[in-house]
Amino acid sequence: MSAPAVVGLIAFVGVPFGYAVVLSFYNVRLGSPLAPSFFGLEQYRRLFTDPDLSGPFLRALLNNLTFAVVVVPVQTALALGLAILLNRKLKAIGLFRSLFFMPVVFPMALVAVIWRLILARSDQGMLNSALHAVSFGNWGAFDWLGDSATAMASIIVLSIWQGVGFQMVILLAGLQQIPGELYEAAELDRASRWQQFRHVTLPGIRGTLVFVVMLTSVLSFRVFDQVYVLVRGGGLDEDATRTVMYQAVTTAFDQNNIGQASAITVVFFLIVVVLTLIQRRVVRPENED
Amino acid sequence: MSSPSRKHRRTARTGLALVPLVALAACGSGGGSDASAEAGSGKGTISVWAHQGQKNETSALQNAVKSFNSSQNKVKVDLKLIPDTDYTKTITATDASELPDVMEFDGPTMANFVYNKKLAPIDTYVSAKTLGNATDASKAQGEIDGKHYGLGMYDSGLGIYGNKKLLDAAGVKYPTSLSDDWTAAQFTAALKALKAKDSDGKPLDLQETAGYANEWGTYGFAPIVWSAGGSLLKDGKAEGALDTPAVVSALKTFQSWKTYVDPNTDGNAFAKGRVALSWVGHWMYPAYSKALGDDLVVLPLPDFGNGPKTGQGSWAWGIGADTKNAKAAGTFLDTLLDDTNVTAMTTANGAVPATKTALAKSSLYKQGGPLQLFADQLAKPCGDSDITKSCVAVTRPVTAGYPTVTAKFGEALNSIYGGADPKSALEKATRAIDQDYSDNAGYKIP
Repeated sequence: MSAPAVVGLIAFVGVPFGYAVVLSFYNVRLGSPLAPSFFGLEQYRRLFTDPDLSGPFLRALLNNLTFAVVVVPVQTALALGLAILLNRKLKAIGLFRSLFFMPVVFPMALVAVIWRLILARSDQGMLNSALHAVSFGNWGAFDWLGDSATAMASIIVLSIWQGVGFQMVILLAGLQQIPGELYEAAELDRASRWQQFRHVTLPGIRGTLVFVVMLTSVLSFRVFDQVYVLVRGGGLDEDATRTVMYQAVTTAFDQNNIGQASAITVVFFLIVVVLTLIQRRVVRPENED
Repeated sequence: MSSPSRKHRRTARTGLALVPLVALAACGSGGGSDASAEAGSGKGTISVWAHQGQKNETSALQNAVKSFNSSQNKVKVDLKLIPDTDYTKTITATDASELPDVMEFDGPTMANFVYNKKLAPIDTYVSAKTLGNATDASKAQGEIDGKHYGLGMYDSGLGIYGNKKLLDAAGVKYPTSLSDDWTAAQFTAALKALKAKDSDGKPLDLQETAGYANEWGTYGFAPIVWSAGGSLLKDGKAEGALDTPAVVSALKTFQSWKTYVDPNTDGNAFAKGRVALSWVGHWMYPAYSKALGDDLVVLPLPDFGNGPKTGQGSWAWGIGADTKNAKAAGTFLDTLLDDTNVTAMTTANGAVPATKTALAKSSLYKQGGPLQLFADQLAKPCGDSDITKSCVAVTRPVTAGYPTVTAKFGEALNSIYGGADPKSALEKATRAIDQDYSDNAGYKIP
């Protein structure tokens, strides 16, 4: 019965991963006339002990973790809030829902280019000029992307803005599965709005919520496009925002170093698998077991 | 229950066991059999790849192809344009057998494509007249071991565009030619004087929005390294070339300019008169001269001790290593590099013509022309290794390891501009480049 799933798993996960593991033991260059030479654990040794390589790599891991730790709770909470807000019988509710969902439809590359203008460091940057106006001229030009203290925060804000609509739609679907009678019964029992939310809404969408948290975590580890586009555009603090995917892609395709990039992805894959397993332990849907 | 799961495990194991074979087979094909261009009949359709950059450039190229196709019926050209940001990656990732008969490539990536057996020498396929008419700088960029793999329609140069009105208003004295170039200290002093007169205190444009951790970073600011007496690479090693104290101190100066730099988010800082100085290449001339007219002056980059330097080299044309119709490809290149097309192209993008006859006729670059400085710079080529005090136009290292060199230098430059310590950033880049060269046996072209 599970044969098709296993075939799919092998073809789309097993083979590429095995391929990456093998490549990570070789010194392989994209399009090099030299035959790939066996490197053993050298790529991994460099990743963890060579200060030049391990520094950026560990920093990238830390950046990824920071991103996930902030984005997963904040984005999920925000999506839930929006979903509740939009789960009403209002006129033209479809229009509101589409408007909130719209950023998801824009490609991340486009979003990043627009946010570059918003976050630009001169007093022509939209955010800076808005703050300038609001503060009656007391706000100077601030380098949002170039300052290591705010570079990651900027990436986080734009990512949440772009992605929140997607989670919102899933949660909205979950909310609509809750039978209306439950709320009517709760109201007869004189449950307050908050009590209704805690005892009817949350249990009703528990499974959906767990799914959304998982999905957001996995997606947040994949963060790449916004960093790539903003670094290319100039002014982004590369060290403060380098993520593992960014490092893997630039190592593979800017420096043609496939072996090194494979080692990075293998380590990252293992870390993400472990984190996902831990997460599944901690938050599991009730109907499991 | 047990038997199907064992079967699945076996399937999985077979799948995994196959992986190494697939992996090695895939790697082997990259540098496999010796592919070489075949002359062919000199007739038929040839495929051509080019980068899609500025609109003017693209339409000049399309016109050249259109008139070539209609001028004769032996060879037909099928032109495919690829956006320039992905162009080099596309060629790198494409197998040699899938590459077109004729392709364009960015100058410094050529050695890597020769090393990967993706380009064939063009000497036997283009006419002697075409080769002889190419400028020395253009030929230097396209040459490896005495064979030519690429020729450009145009060359490039860097300079500082100045707004005469703003410079005079701030009382800044500026150079008029290469010989009275300002030193780095004079340049910094000029920035200070201009800042005092500038409404937002930012009189300089360094094309920051283009980013520095990329080819613009290397092309635009490696001249600082050369002018400080350093080099990106010397005898296949970055150590002792890129990390010398003079280079460190020069890049410290570069870092100190950031406070004067207008981020130029809208790309109009210079044209709108918000900045007095713009550090960029010849390609901004058409836009700048239209905006400023007679107020535009063109100045050399500042001297950090080893004489003023500029980057050189640009897009060039070559023949795919696996082409079956190299003769037809050569015919097309002869036409593409003739005076009509070179002049049309350089009129469109403002670049320095890369052929002797077109250069002599160019109204922009001839003696007394508004861009004579760029021609003067290119008339003193250094090549990529012989960087003396008196030569000016330096070719970026012609080496198959260039992708790593530029990636690491760009990264270092970007972090220095962002505030990192120049010494440790350069040392880090140096170690990474040298490590990469030793991993690849020095990138010797076989």
